[in-house]
Amino acid sequence: MKPKKLNKDQIQKIFLSTLGFIALIYCYFTFFLGPLNKSRVTMIQTIGDLQTKTASSKTELRKTANLEQQAKEATGRYEALQKTTQDGAPIAWFPPKMRAFFGDRRIDKVSARLESSSDFKEPELSDWVKDIWAIEVPESDYSALGRAIADLENTEPLLSFQRVVIHAVPEQPQYQQVSLDAETVLFKK
Amino acid sequence: MALQLNLLHEEFKEERQRKRDPLKLGLIALGCFGVILFLYYAWNAYGTMQIRSQLNVAQAEWAKVEPQVTAAQNRAAELHQIIDSTKVLDARIENRFYWAPFLSIISQSVAPNIQLTSLDGTITDSGVISVSLEGLAAAREPRAAAEELRQLLSEQLEKHYSEVKVTFKNLEDLDTLLNLAGVPTASARFVVNMIFNPKPAAPSKKPESTKENQGKEAKEKPAAK
Repeated sequence: MKPKKLNKDQIQKIFLSTLGFIALIYCYFTFFLGPLNKSRVTMIQTIGDLQTKTASSKTELRKTANLEQQAKEATGRYEALQKTTQDGAPIAWFPPKMRAFFGDRRIDKVSARLESSSDFKEPELSDWVKDIWAIEVPESDYSALGRAIADLENTEPLLSFQRVVIHAVPEQPQYQQVSLDAETVLFKK
Repeated sequence: MALQLNLLHEEFKEERQRKRDPLKLGLIALGCFGVILFLYYAWNAYGTMQIRSQLNVAQAEWAKVEPQVTAAQNRAAELHQIIDSTKVLDARIENRFYWAPFLSIISQSVAPNIQLTSLDGTITDSGVISVSLEGLAAAREPRAAAEELRQLLSEQLEKHYSEVKVTFKNLEDLDTLLNLAGVPTASARFVVNMIFNPKPAAPSKKPESTKENQGKEAKEKPAAK
């Protein structure tokens, strides 16, 4: 059986059909399936990222909770150290505090003046300031002075004496003139 | 036998040709293929919608977790800062020099025939304590009395501190006699410099065999009995 020959009209129709088919395939992949797949891939990636971030965040939350437990002691201690700094400018409350402190120990006429105030070099102490105070005690008994210094050193953990100068008072040998350079670490408020 | 004549064979032929029209067949095939493609697209779209719903769930979860994480990160940074600050502050507190015990050592070391007139103590930048002590010593041998004070100070300081150096900066006899318990006594003026490290000296190592020996002795004694 011989294959039937296609006439010109039929060939044109076949060509047209082929063109239509190609156009359909192109439109389908370019405008429909392509963007759909692209958005699906993007969404899958986003889901992956979000799930990773969520998982790591949960780990982070657990770590912070653990850290909170571990840091309880440090936090309490830090708060206690913060409370050693009174409200207001130190120059307003520190000299009266020293006067009252020494006055309670029968050492009168104590004066304190601020010599210098500077920030710490350590980044850990960026919230703290170092003040140097000159404390003058015009008249004191040696043993009373020693007890007062001991009390001060024991009750004020962030105070340390950098210099202690004691001179005998010529007219009153039982008394001494005292100059103290005290360094205080105060919380910036 | 009856003769069959097809008088409509031309119409039949046209009908057959119409049925075999390539355009028509092509359109049918195209339509079928289009339906398949549409179904495939619908299937993919359905999958994508499911993924979108998963994405929404993930985004909702992240939106819930994100503020907590940000707060937790800030809190963690704050806690680290607190821990570090507390460590540094504790180190400062632990390493500070307590003057009261030192003044106590001085007062305990001064004999009745010694009078201190001045004490000047400073903490140097390297953390070493430097103290200058000025006073008068009255005795038959005032220089010896001053030397006794120096030695006593050195001994007492070595008990509590390390790298102790107690030296005379100045020691001179005075022409004037001091009245000590009603007796005119020769006197000398002295300036003693004391330098020491406030950290206590490291304890000397005990011989390792001591404990072992004690253990052996303890074991041997019952055996000997």
